[in-house]
Amino acid sequence: MAENRTGSILAVDFGNVHTRAVLIDLVDGTYRPVGYGEVMTTSSFPHGDVSVGLERALRQISRGTGRQLLRSDHTVLSPELPDRSGVDSFLVTTSIGRPMRTVMIGLTRAMSVDSAFRAVAGTYVQVVETITLEDDRDESAQINAIILSRPDLFFLVGGTEGGAQTTLLQLAKRAVLAMRLMADDRRRLVLFAGNSEAIPQIRELFSPYAIVLTAENVRPSLEQEQPAQASAQLASAYDSVAEQRGAGFDRAAAGSALGVLPTAQSYSLIARYLAQVQGSALALDVGSAVSTLSAAIGHHSATTIRNDIGLGHSAATLLEASGFDRVRRWLPFVVDDNELLAFALNKTLRPGTLPESLRELYLVHALMRAGVEMLVQTARPLWTDEANSSPDAALPPFRMIVGAGAVFANTGRPGMSAMLLLDALQPVGMSELLLDGNALIPALGALARVQQEAFVQLLDAGGIIPLGTCFSVSGQPRAGKPALRVRITLPNGEIVKQEVPGGTLWVYPLGLGVRALIDVRTVGRGVTIGGKRKFRREVTGGTAGIIFDARGRPLPLALTPAERAGQMPAWYAQATGDEPRLIDPEWLQAAPAKKDTGQAEAAPKKGRQKRRPATSEKELEVEQRAKEVQAKKVRKQFSSGEPDQGDAQNGDQQAKDEVDELRNLFS
Amino acid sequence: MNYETYFPEQRHLLPLTIFRRDRLLPVDATGGIEVARGDRVDLHTVVARGAVQAPFTIVEAARQLRLRRPEQLDDLLHVHVGDPVQQGELLAGKNGRRKRGVRSPITGTVVHIGDGRVILQEVGENMVVEAGVNGHVVDIRRGRGALVEGIGAVLQGVWGNNSRATGTLRLEPSDGFGRISREALDSPYHNAIVVTRRPLSQSTLQVVHEQELLGVIAPSIEPELMNDALSSSAAILLTEGFGSQRMSTFSYSFLSNLEGRQATLDGIQPGVLEARRPEVIVNVPLQSGERPPAPRNDLTLHTDMQVRVTRGNFAGNIGQIIGLLNNPIVLDNGLRVHVAQVYLVTGETLYVPLENLEVFG
Repeated sequence: MAENRTGSILAVDFGNVHTRAVLIDLVDGTYRPVGYGEVMTTSSFPHGDVSVGLERALRQISRGTGRQLLRSDHTVLSPELPDRSGVDSFLVTTSIGRPMRTVMIGLTRAMSVDSAFRAVAGTYVQVVETITLEDDRDESAQINAIILSRPDLFFLVGGTEGGAQTTLLQLAKRAVLAMRLMADDRRRLVLFAGNSEAIPQIRELFSPYAIVLTAENVRPSLEQEQPAQASAQLASAYDSVAEQRGAGFDRAAAGSALGVLPTAQSYSLIARYLAQVQGSALALDVGSAVSTLSAAIGHHSATTIRNDIGLGHSAATLLEASGFDRVRRWLPFVVDDNELLAFALNKTLRPGTLPESLRELYLVHALMRAGVEMLVQTARPLWTDEANSSPDAALPPFRMIVGAGAVFANTGRPGMSAMLLLDALQPVGMSELLLDGNALIPALGALARVQQEAFVQLLDAGGIIPLGTCFSVSGQPRAGKPALRVRITLPNGEIVKQEVPGGTLWVYPLGLGVRALIDVRTVGRGVTIGGKRKFRREVTGGTAGIIFDARGRPLPLALTPAERAGQMPAWYAQATGDEPRLIDPEWLQAAPAKKDTGQAEAAPKKGRQKRRPATSEKELEVEQRAKEVQAKKVRKQFSSGEPDQGDAQNGDQQAKDEVDELRNLFS
Repeated sequence: MNYETYFPEQRHLLPLTIFRRDRLLPVDATGGIEVARGDRVDLHTVVARGAVQAPFTIVEAARQLRLRRPEQLDDLLHVHVGDPVQQGELLAGKNGRRKRGVRSPITGTVVHIGDGRVILQEVGENMVVEAGVNGHVVDIRRGRGALVEGIGAVLQGVWGNNSRATGTLRLEPSDGFGRISREALDSPYHNAIVVTRRPLSQSTLQVVHEQELLGVIAPSIEPELMNDALSSSAAILLTEGFGSQRMSTFSYSFLSNLEGRQATLDGIQPGVLEARRPEVIVNVPLQSGERPPAPRNDLTLHTDMQVRVTRGNFAGNIGQIIGLLNNPIVLDNGLRVHVAQVYLVTGETLYVPLENLEVFG
């Protein structure tokens, strides 16, 4: 797209919980954000229409800037008028709703289909069915599978350039037949990124039933892979599907320069840009329904999206995916499966709520840390070979780390946000931590497509908030013994010296934009900062300050809740400068076993139900086993999505039998 | 987001309002609409009738008949597109040469013939969508159903078990759910939707099953019983969430006032793509010409407003806003957020993050 140095730009991102708008304009010849609006997204009840939220967000900006942004028909006023009302450019991104349900069709899994999976990694795609030549189902079964998966998009790949087309076209005909048999008359999307010589036949086959998009062959030869163009076409397809989805997107995006773009691509773009400047970057967004991790090392970049990891709508699926124990190991108190699951389920019911008690705060943060661990595990195989030498190895050094999403941005405490990023990603060496506190990244990503100058100027002007530089210790420093010796030379010549004991964090409050010279030495065998024992750098302060993380890598989380009850509150206190918030000793008691209270017994007024504690080891074992059986049953239901009545009944019976068996054993 | 620009979560608890609700076939079903715009509907009026898309079977007829060219099949067909067929029925073959015939492997319908193949579709599961309320049709949703407008009381909950029921609203007996019996001919629990203040337990669900109750409105359920709730034959609505919270007096009083009326419990299971809420709707008779207000969906927080706390140790409590702070404060857990000062009906005063307040409008 030709780049014009136009005036005002309005960028709006529709998230599953929040709708955020930013007005960008030229101030003294430089692009700057001049107004923000943030409201709850209105895609669900009672509005079912995102344009209501858009209007509210724009009214906030109008109130702050005095500029009229809406027409009388409630659409965005564009272009900008001489009285400064309206905007020259309007951009829309979203991560709302379900991903595009996609049927992947290709010749072989190990070749083109593998490349196609990499192409879809950067957008909100859920591959609901994969059809290849290796598929041993008969044609009826394949067609039924396609139809039952209710796809929005068919993504066809296969065939090297100049290679044979017959088999590919046979598979394509199967997809056409499935389309013809589908009950609704919706025109689906077909993206073809295979042997380019087959494009005319593919168009002819699908055109009566679908909108056909084409892209470069994702696997032009056995050795070569080029998923980028297919990835860009998937973004266009997403726009089209987002509009079909309803929820007022057609109205909200009317006048948008590029339609509706997937938010995730913005994180990829930011990571790539920062890596170009600084060598490597990681952008992490933990949303309510979806989480995204974009890594860029040199010229290589990879984006991973998990639709089952989120802290609101996807809290229960996160718990299911990560497992209860992975979450529990981040908690400084005892919690049973039932409480964890109830907490996650209640988060899915009210995704926009905030943790109000200390216990809830730890639960949310534990879910986040466990979810990000999973996300990193999924993402690492896509990184460079050197960066992914071993999945158990520490993270490769990333010079820039950007955190986004309410869990980081809405703490109101920069130190806490920084610590959460450190805990979740466990970076090594020296990293700049950044926070997308105003949710500017989605806007920047869209902006980069139309106005790169504005993109660069906004980033350079601190559009993303610097939390500060962090020096992270690798190895396992001895707790309580000096791990780092730090010397900070401030601009006025004043020198600050500090010894940082192993197992702790130390934050020096170097203000935003203030530069200081840092000399840091590690103490102890095997303790380094990114492989170095001495470091000397001039750094700039941030909202958190300069952070010295002497806890070690991997993070030496204590093995028992009681030990973590001493460890974790201290970390929060060190990161925020607050007094430690101590864990209630009662929280360290094992949850008493429970029984069905029936109707004679009233539930307690609030908090968890009080039950007669199990009195003997045998009873405890029986109850523990019973809980495991029940938890297994609930987990099974989550993994299967919808309950199967037969299965549920069988499962019930089996669970009852198992519990009865144990009771008999100990009676 | 401070209180001036914050639009809190709203959950209806309206004694008399105008409501509009879509009554639709599931997305994987096809069918026809049985009403027209402007039609009056009652609780059991069928709005749409349809069937879930059933599986297909491809019969390679030309190949089975060893035909050289697929077109040759046309002269040998015994069925046409749209014909119903029984399992074993002859689809194609030469007259008098029964052994060479191609027979239908399923009972269903012929949906496609071409390229030497006959494609059959099994018979789909039939379903009907009822209006569930007294009102009139204000719009038609092509191929899916209708938008119905009615007048009545609405209480929205937080979770449902994906089931709908229409029945008489009853409160649980004062001596417990276990006392419910529909054996007596004059039992009030025939075709009843029962309200309980206590969390659903295994024994409650057992009573629901044994007494064939149509629905239950309860405050909460332990997650380990969720499977049982999902497979229950009754429609279930939770007003508070998962765990062991009791129903607020506010919600209970609201439902008590509607006891004995016909109610529709729509146990919608929430999800990221689900724009509807689980709810119970009760038609309330009106004097002719009376028209209550529609719900206001643009409420912002203000002092004296009645709110429900949705998180923390006081989750489920009802209170009144007595102060709205301009600047964020640090909570006991260390977060710094915008809050409202809320006076609870139980006498406590607390600071609650704006995001954790729900209003009833």
